[in-house]
Amino acid sequence: MIVFNLLAGALLLLTGFLSVYLRNAVHAALALAANFVVMGTVYMVLQARFLGWVQIIVYAGAIMVLFVFVIMLLYAAQAEVGVDPLPWMRRAAAGVALAGFLALAYAFSAARSALGDKAATALLQGGTARVLGPVLWDEWRYPVMLVAALLFVATVAAVALLRPGRGTA
Amino acid sequence: MIWQLFLTAVKALVLILALLFAFAYITWIMRRGLARFQVRLGPNRVGPFGLLQPIADAVKAIFKEDITVERADRVLYWLAPLIAFTFALAAFAAIPVGPDGWVVANLDMGVLYVFAVSELAVYGIFLAGWASGSKYPLMGGLRSIAALVGYELALGMAILPVVLMTGSLNLQDIVAWQQKHGYLILWQFPAFLVYFVASLAEMSRTPFDFAEAEQELVAGFHTEYASMKFVSFYIAELLHWITGSALMATLFLGGWAAPFGLPEVPVLWLFLKWAIFIFLVLWIWASWFRTRYDQMIRFAWGVLLPAATVWFLITAYYVAKGGAL
Repeated sequence: MIVFNLLAGALLLLTGFLSVYLRNAVHAALALAANFVVMGTVYMVLQARFLGWVQIIVYAGAIMVLFVFVIMLLYAAQAEVGVDPLPWMRRAAAGVALAGFLALAYAFSAARSALGDKAATALLQGGTARVLGPVLWDEWRYPVMLVAALLFVATVAAVALLRPGRGTA
Repeated sequence: MIWQLFLTAVKALVLILALLFAFAYITWIMRRGLARFQVRLGPNRVGPFGLLQPIADAVKAIFKEDITVERADRVLYWLAPLIAFTFALAAFAAIPVGPDGWVVANLDMGVLYVFAVSELAVYGIFLAGWASGSKYPLMGGLRSIAALVGYELALGMAILPVVLMTGSLNLQDIVAWQQKHGYLILWQFPAFLVYFVASLAEMSRTPFDFAEAEQELVAGFHTEYASMKFVSFYIAELLHWITGSALMATLFLGGWAAPFGLPEVPVLWLFLKWAIFIFLVLWIWASWFRTRYDQMIRFAWGVLLPAATVWFLITAYYVAKGGAL
């Protein structure tokens, strides 16, 4: 278990850094995909199995679309990134990420001391669809519907914007 | 714990060997079958009925020169066949071939597992296309992604009614439900139709084999590959056919359960049902044309997905009213 945690942590850090620092956009996207897959396995080991598979299917799958964007937008010019036009942005992003990480660490340690190890595992019950479903569709019914409505509006807007023969195009 | 691990490892090994053997002879069945459809003989010189042909092919492939094209991205060019091959091989692990112990990994989310793994296999295809540093492979790779985005949705939508009716994502539970209530192909015929068409695209078989489309793209994503790297892609591709057919047999034809009250024999019944789908795909392959790429994307989004969604809503209503289960 400890071996897995260390290995997964190291892999997550490595792929995370690679996805930021690799100069080739396709390599970076691939590192991000690997990061998501490892993250999925971590979820599964932490008894959130449904979430783990969904993480792999949805997030690692979405990277695929990112590839298409990379090729459509960058391939004609260069797949490699040139000089950074906004150098201060990196430092700012690093600061924000660090602050976010500390906040999350605090939140988790607080939640953990409130729940205790055993309670969390009992609560998750393996995180199967059967456990997760009622929580999502009973307790969190309205947020789920709101998100669905939001996605639907976004889809309709995208289709409306792309309709040929209208506006500028 | 150790014993469990050991048992799983042995099962996985047996499955891998069985799959590779199945691959070798599916090439033979494919070539002889296609030849039959086209009124010719097919390979019949090496051994009786040409049965040793796959071995001859393997030897030939191993001794071919392994070329790396100059403009290739070397690391990914090497990694792509590995990814395609590994995930294609792994997808079968959740499909049960018999009761209880007769499955490598009895996952409570077996359906999602098969989905996730066969989705990750597309990475191999796309990376092969991109890393070759050549235009036709790149187009093949891009097409495979477009197909994934279009058809994976229809495929998922077609599985949802099955999951709703059986109330489980576990493939063993789905088989058990069918043993009790009858095959899902009877309950869920529209879902089966959508699933079958979408999985033809998922397996990249005719009429949706446009990722390689030899008349348009030379050989698509594996144009620049030779020797064992090419063979890895070939194996991966036929393994998708093998796994996809087994999954269809499991989801809609009752999997390993014996039909008509015949005695239960592990492996045998799944094998026979699997053979039906293998033959169906081969039949379509031999007698259909390849659809144009843009038409097939339009078909995925405009026909398959809405049809699957409507059927999903009908099933949801039926299940909510207390039918099934």
